[in-house]
Amino acid sequence: MDADSDVALDILITNVVCVFRTRCHLNLRKIALEGANVIYKRDVGKVLMKLRKPRITATIWSSGKIICTGATSEEEAKFGARRLARSLQKLGFQVIFTDFKVVNVLAVCNMPFEIRLPEFTKNNRPHASYEPELHPAVCYRIKSLRATLQIFSTGSITVTGPNVKAVATAVEQIYPFVFESRKEILSFTT
Amino acid sequence: MTGRVCRGCGGTDIELDAARGDAVCTACGSVLEDNIIVSEVQFVESSGGGSSAVGQFVSLDGRRHIHHLGNQLQLNQHCLDTAFNFFKMAVSRHLTRGRKMAHVIAACLYLVCRTEGTPHMLLDLSDLLQVNVYVLGKTFLLLARELCINAPAIDPCLYIPRFAHLLEFGEKNHEVSMTALRLLQRMKRDWMHTGRRPSGLCGAALLVAARMHDFRRTVKEVISVVKVCESTLRKRLTEFEDTPTSQLTIDEFMKIDLEEECDPPSYTAGQRKLRMKQLEQVLSKKLEEVEGEISSYQDAIEIELENSRPKAKGGLASLAKDGSTEDTTSSLCGEEDTEDEELEAAASHLNKDLYRELLGGAPGSSEAAGSPEWGGRPPALGSLLDPLPTAASLGISDSIRECISSQSSDPKDASGDGELDLSGIDDLEIDRYILNESEARVKAELWMRENAEYLREQREKEARIAKEKELGIYKEHKPKKSCKRREPIQASTAREAIEKMLEQKKISSKINYSVLRGLSSAGGGSPHREDAQPKHSASARKLSRRRTPASRSGADPVTSVGKRLRPLVSTQPAKKVATGEALLPSSPTLGSEPARPQAVLVESGPVSYHADEEADEEEPDEEDGEPCVSALQMMGSNDYGCDGDEDDGY
Repeated sequence: MDADSDVALDILITNVVCVFRTRCHLNLRKIALEGANVIYKRDVGKVLMKLRKPRITATIWSSGKIICTGATSEEEAKFGARRLARSLQKLGFQVIFTDFKVVNVLAVCNMPFEIRLPEFTKNNRPHASYEPELHPAVCYRIKSLRATLQIFSTGSITVTGPNVKAVATAVEQIYPFVFESRKEILSFTT
Repeated sequence: MTGRVCRGCGGTDIELDAARGDAVCTACGSVLEDNIIVSEVQFVESSGGGSSAVGQFVSLDGRRHIHHLGNQLQLNQHCLDTAFNFFKMAVSRHLTRGRKMAHVIAACLYLVCRTEGTPHMLLDLSDLLQVNVYVLGKTFLLLARELCINAPAIDPCLYIPRFAHLLEFGEKNHEVSMTALRLLQRMKRDWMHTGRRPSGLCGAALLVAARMHDFRRTVKEVISVVKVCESTLRKRLTEFEDTPTSQLTIDEFMKIDLEEECDPPSYTAGQRKLRMKQLEQVLSKKLEEVEGEISSYQDAIEIELENSRPKAKGGLASLAKDGSTEDTTSSLCGEEDTEDEELEAAASHLNKDLYRELLGGAPGSSEAAGSPEWGGRPPALGSLLDPLPTAASLGISDSIRECISSQSSDPKDASGDGELDLSGIDDLEIDRYILNESEARVKAELWMRENAEYLREQREKEARIAKEKELGIYKEHKPKKSCKRREPIQASTAREAIEKMLEQKKISSKINYSVLRGLSSAGGGSPHREDAQPKHSASARKLSRRRTPASRSGADPVTSVGKRLRPLVSTQPAKKVATGEALLPSSPTLGSEPARPQAVLVESGPVSYHADEEADEEEPDEEDGEPCVSALQMMGSNDYGCDGDEDDGY
């Protein structure tokens, strides 16, 4: 997706979550009974609808708010949301597609080296927290970007952020820090 | 409190005495809790609409809790004091709000454990409290972050003496733990500890150390002490097995320190997986090559066979020439057979060629026969593919156009972001998601059958509500609105702002407001009485709505509030006059407004009016609501109309 200035890092986006409103009340039972691609969770009051192309899962609430997950890019998320709105239209609702917003992006990224987690945590104290009792990764928060990074000792980093750009910037920002406390790979195996 | 377990004996029979406010275990008699009332948070609704907690004596309660829990962990007094200080810090920063007391206290204690380096795990605390570790962990992380306490990273070595003691090595306790520590150091250098639970590592080290010192400790015994899963421990052991250190004998291990480090096990595991994959790929490639070779041999054999056949055919043909008709038929059959064989050979050849092409292998192999049959296959595929629908054949474009046109003819969303952009949306596929009528009916039937009970309950509920409504005993549950949202204070001077603020949230019930009013009214005259009132009619209305009809019948709320407010506002400095005057031109109608709602309310005053029907109760509100809204519009807060409804919830 985006490359660092020095080293090309592949940031693989694995999930994009977006929300939008239809500005109309949705009769969940109608959706549940007339759609083939739905799961109706009556006790929770929501309907899950899945689309094949793009492969997304949407949570439909009767208030008309819809959450789409599973897309792998922002454009795909938008496309999926539009398709979903269209299928709701086909079901006979007066759907108005508004307030579309990407709310969360999950991405993974592999560093070409390993990371000394204790050292890294010590150097980046207020932002990083490392609790092996709870989680094997260091949790690093970038407040300004509202991004959270999970840094594993193997060098793989999981990033969550509010949008793709923030995720990319977060990786760019974290790179020098993890580079500082990297571990040289001893056995070169290709 | 039914699900509680006695901390002393594990009994579940706990007696609660509400009068004395304590909980006693009937099995062992230990007092589990006293002053229960103190530990519960109570809320009161203040007249200002907000709610506040009462009766919570944080320091006393917290100290007791911390002592209780700390003593169970066998922490010393110093640690307890530090924990209490942490707790006080947490309270002063309002970090206890929205969290359970026990969680915060456990987090404080663990924070001390970490900073002081005592051999306690978060798991111990969660064990004591019977709370999920991760819940505690969340609280702990939050406290550490908010209080800016940088707890040092956990050192697994801390736990060795503790676990060694629990494993009861007797006299050799020290030696075993020293060996375990040495092992642990080695493991650390081999990158086994990053991202791993310290207790699991300790367990592995202790198990190996115990075996080295001729103790028979099973994996089970160890895991019951270190509290990790058996497979975790085994994994640690196998990881240790992979390090070069594990190849040393015991004596060597005690003497030699290997210099080199290992890669993290997870990394090597990943590498191994990768290598296996590559190997697999290479192998499969080789296999394919071999297969190709075999098939080429097969081909050669077939060709040889075929070469030898025409002669036979020729022989047969010559035989047929001079033979009878039967012969010819047989020969024909024979020919057909051979043709079939030829076809087969060609097919196998074709297969092989396809292989080749896919593999990108060398093209050169003998291919003589079967070339005319080449063309036979792709057309067949094509004919298979042909019946697949194309966009035009199904008239999708037409349907899309139709949809679009119907869309545009809709009056609702001609512009703005509301319009659904249909570009790139394949309607046909969407249609497939939607069941047709009969399918929908079947599904509905199934669903109805499956949820029959729920539907029946729902109907019963509705019927009950209707009945209750008829009887007039139905209580509508209004959703609880958060009290956080208040109208923004608009004031031209600081003093006015403070007055409004004071009015909005009653700071204390102990302040005698009337005296305050008297103080401020003594400060100046009250020339702005008229234009001051509409300004506060908003809050006046708020108060009036909050009252129950019965109380409202007692006195005119607007006037009474107005009376209360007038002196407060009347002390506005001279600057206020300007704004008041500026507002005046637009309020010839507004000037009379304060009077109108009063009149309406006075009308609604008599009790008899409210007694007959509840539904009518809204009407006077609406009536007096309207002028208030317009008065507010004057002040520039248009959204009051909806805010006002929310105030009902208080």
